Amino acid sequence: MGYIRDEDKKYLKGEFDKHLREEVKLLVFVGDDCQYCNVASDIAKEVAELHPLIKFEEHRIGDALANEYGLERAPTVVITDGDMYGGRIRYVGLPSGYEFSSLIEDIVDVSRRSAEVSPEVMEKLKKIDKPVLIQVFVTPTCPYCPRAVRTAHRFAIINPNVTGEMVEANEFPDWADRWKVMSVPHIIINEDVQFIGAYPDEQYIDYVVQAYEKIK
Amino acid sequence: MNFGFVIPTGSRASKEVDVAIIGGGPAGLSAGIYATRAGLNAIIIDKGNAGGLAEEAPYVENYLGYKGIKGEELVKKFKEHAVDYLEISERNEVREIIKEEGTYLIKAEKGDYRARAIIFATGTTHKNLGIPGEKEFFGKGVSYCVTCDGYFFRGKKVALIGGGNSGAIAAIYLKDIGVEPIVLEYMPRFMCEKAYENIIKERGIPYHTNVQVTSIEGSETGEKVVYKDRATGEVKEVEVDGVFIYVGLIPISGLAKSLGVETDEKGYIKVDLKMRTNVPYIYAAGDVTGYAGQIIIAAGQGAMAALSAYEDLMLK
Repeated sequence: MGYIRDEDKKYLKGEFDKHLREEVKLLVFVGDDCQYCNVASDIAKEVAELHPLIKFEEHRIGDALANEYGLERAPTVVITDGDMYGGRIRYVGLPSGYEFSSLIEDIVDVSRRSAEVSPEVMEKLKKIDKPVLIQVFVTPTCPYCPRAVRTAHRFAIINPNVTGEMVEANEFPDWADRWKVMSVPHIIINEDVQFIGAYPDEQYIDYVVQAYEKIK
Repeated sequence: MNFGFVIPTGSRASKEVDVAIIGGGPAGLSAGIYATRAGLNAIIIDKGNAGGLAEEAPYVENYLGYKGIKGEELVKKFKEHAVDYLEISERNEVREIIKEEGTYLIKAEKGDYRARAIIFATGTTHKNLGIPGEKEFFGKGVSYCVTCDGYFFRGKKVALIGGGNSGAIAAIYLKDIGVEPIVLEYMPRFMCEKAYENIIKERGIPYHTNVQVTSIEGSETGEKVVYKDRATGEVKEVEVDGVFIYVGLIPISGLAKSLGVETDEKGYIKVDLKMRTNVPYIYAAGDVTGYAGQIIIAAGQGAMAALSAYEDLMLK
């Protein structure tokens, strides 16, 4: 028996059949002394088996691709087309619980090579022409967190200068402590501008712009 | 470890429906099933995940048929049931509703929807206590969600302000995951169900009654809760590593109000026994109506609202 229940697989298969357009790579970067690496790979394999357009690959932290994407911790799950999105849409730690829904929505968006934001948000987002890293600390039992993760990932799909990174706080307590994460979602942009909560795009983008203005 | 996968639903296409259900908690999901089974074309639109505040309930022990289930799991069952009948569009916040001739135009994040009738199942959100330190230390020790943030306080002591049912369940959950909660309740008695009171006593969770919390203090994080003993007037304090606030709920009724729907002084939508509001073809169900804040009641109200919508749209 796998991790994903049969009835959920059936539902997901239907959704993928309806919405997937182009190939999506599901890359899992594993490492040594990693409690959930096998689970991350197994889950990604199970998801990939649901549709021929989803391709699973296992890599290692420290290999050429991990270095190219700037990945340091395992497990990291990357959703990408290969070129356009590189390693910019990622999950550090297991995308389980509520974050599994973010992963599925990301797969659909990446396959469609598009994400949606309002014209007002798009205008602000398009102006960002320097690298911006949005890190979203979450717990898998937080119902509000996927919204914050998905916003970071949608921004990353639209603008090639944006990287959206979910961080599972329970798996990386030292990292969470470094940023004094005590409530999630806790969002940190360019390791500088921070806010807490699942805000609508319109407010979220203003924090991103604020961080960008500082490096411009 | 239970990975508890949550599956997303809903596409992003605009559409026309008979009834739009705003809010996908137990009331909205139940309304969706009843509306569709009655023959109405319906959609559920939710700004976050379908499930509502029930998702945050660590345990539910009073829903018929379930002696004990996590809120998250119960909601998953509701959602799986409803999604067989109709589209649930998640992470799709409704921004504005415009009344046009004979229909409502619902402008949301993922599209525009035209509906002949609307059921507001928008629920409630956590109420702030409004004391010094609460805002300053939000995210720095002050939280409103134990399932989200409880794990950060394992092995530590936290104050849980508010000893009603939600607060009591939250305290039990915290104790179970290895946090040491101390409950501070304003009223001079246990304010939760007897069943929870018994568990609190069994697990040795301190439950102080008749106390008024006056401030949360600290340097970088909330480190101390100051409160007044309402019987003696004595000011006391308790040192903690975190503070969870469960002091009640406020209704989310702004959109309904913008359409002329009447609410009571607290903002709860006024409904009759059939869940009709004062505005024709607009209904409300669940916690936003201000009834008991119970999943089973919300589900029942959702069913009633859908049946009333059916009656008004199809039988008149």
